[in-house]
Amino acid sequence: MRILATQHRRELGMRSYPLLVYVLAPLTALVLQAWLPRLLRGHTWFDLPLLITVYFALARRDSIQGTMMGAGMGIFEDALTHHAIGANGIAKSVVGFLAGSVGVRFDVDNYTVRLMLTFLLSLLSGFIYVLIYRVLLGMDQEWRGLEELLKAVGTSLVALVVYPLLDRTQLRD
Amino acid sequence: MESFFARYRNLLVLLAVLLAQIIGLAVQVRRTESGRNTLDASDPTGVRLIRLWADAVVTPPEQIFHAAKLGAEALWQNYIDLRHAREQNQELQKTIDRLRLEQASLMEDARQGERLQALLNFQQRYIYKTLAAQAIGTSGNESSRVFYIDKGSSDGIERDMAVITPDGIVGKIREVFPRSSQVLAINDQTSGAGVILETTRIRGILRGDAAGRLQIVGILADQRIQPGEKVLTAGGDLVFPRGLPVGDVVRVRPDPDRDSFIDVIVKPAAHLDRLDEVLVITSTEPQFSAEQQRDQATSEALKGAEAAAIKQQQKASQIMAERLPGLTDPNAPVPGTVPPGQNQAAPPQAPPVPKLLHPLHPDRFTPGAKPQPAQEQETTPPERQENKPETKPESKPDSEQATPSPTQAGRKP
Repeated sequence: MRILATQHRRELGMRSYPLLVYVLAPLTALVLQAWLPRLLRGHTWFDLPLLITVYFALARRDSIQGTMMGAGMGIFEDALTHHAIGANGIAKSVVGFLAGSVGVRFDVDNYTVRLMLTFLLSLLSGFIYVLIYRVLLGMDQEWRGLEELLKAVGTSLVALVVYPLLDRTQLRD
Repeated sequence: MESFFARYRNLLVLLAVLLAQIIGLAVQVRRTESGRNTLDASDPTGVRLIRLWADAVVTPPEQIFHAAKLGAEALWQNYIDLRHAREQNQELQKTIDRLRLEQASLMEDARQGERLQALLNFQQRYIYKTLAAQAIGTSGNESSRVFYIDKGSSDGIERDMAVITPDGIVGKIREVFPRSSQVLAINDQTSGAGVILETTRIRGILRGDAAGRLQIVGILADQRIQPGEKVLTAGGDLVFPRGLPVGDVVRVRPDPDRDSFIDVIVKPAAHLDRLDEVLVITSTEPQFSAEQQRDQATSEALKGAEAAAIKQQQKASQIMAERLPGLTDPNAPVPGTVPPGQNQAAPPQAPPVPKLLHPLHPDRFTPGAKPQPAQEQETTPPERQENKPETKPESKPDSEQATPSPTQAGRKP
């Protein structure tokens, strides 16, 4: 009964988007994440792939989709670095899963809730990333709290602009 | 059972995805002899394939973005930025507007030309073969200080080639794709370059730290290292040629992990955070200009001629030495020894006095020779003098004649 209720609630609030948005939004986020730091003197004060992962996981209210999208985005990000492929994938898989799970239980149409979630999940992603390196791989990876905090703030600020834009692309019945 | 999978479907999918990625991570990491975990220097085939795909997806849009940025800059500088000026001067003649537009365009061209000319000058001056490339993208992750350039294997780029700018070294090629390459910057934590301090000649290894600062590690504490000292490449890492500028020493701090060692913080000479054009050293074989090659050939030819002349002189002096008379008899008995056949009980003789050998061509300076009139001396052939018995102080076989120089003969007491 509880499952049915959750299922019903999820289906009621589930959003749909054109296929082009599903393709272009992640791709644009990945390309911009790789290209924009050149203009910002190498600083990455935002995490666009995470932002897109969180947005679609919340909007679709589906943990599996969130997990898969997070894994895909994370692996793609890892592939552009010279680090091990999978660390970002794991971090963003967890983030996508949590966002999808939260989307079922909370009203995520509220901007404040979405921004708060984005901020917290960004911090969590950074923490999981460092944790994987230190614990799972046994390698040196410094936790830079201030920079992670700034990154989470930056991601939330970008979300302030990007979320409404993406909201406008959703399909309405 | 079915209800279990249905109920925990989401969690099971998450676990499956995580497990697959953990296995993937385990494949990439290996344990070194020192017991530390590290990533393989060269990626496994599967990992390289993923990187290749990612690069193939990201690089074309990045190049488009890069071209669009340049176009937008040109548009702004050549049109939009001037529109305000044009409005202000609307009452002026159209010719002036056009000239200003052209002037702005030319100024931009000139600036760009100046910048490229500086790069070209450096490239021409530099004796190694280099290839100019544009930085088009980054990894998007601050913990991975790599960036991408628009030249790849189709342009002759290979792994571990050095990447530099006229200001200093930048990094090395880590991964090569058909039309792009990944460059590992020198300020990454995993990079390493052999460097030397210019004045103190202290060597060390240059690395980046977590914040992207450059530091030289593995140096024993030394009071001579002062801020401002230049740091150059040492050339021992087989990546960077020797003597390229790296940066300046900013400060020295004690190594937190090892006593008596210090870390030298270095300010990079190249603007690592503002890279546009870079040069890739594609060959470390010296590339001399035609003029330099001509000079080298001339130098080689002169060196050969000089060597031949020296050899000829040596040969001539050897011939002369054979022909000139000797001062001492090489077969004379060594002082203190008794020649065979002589009585052992013979009284001790006086120390031997060097005897003058019979010269082949005696003249008026020859010891024992009678002074002769100048005219006669000039006309008398040497053979005649040689046959005179009174001028022959002592008869010796020809084979016993040594080779003193005329000056030695003149020094006879």
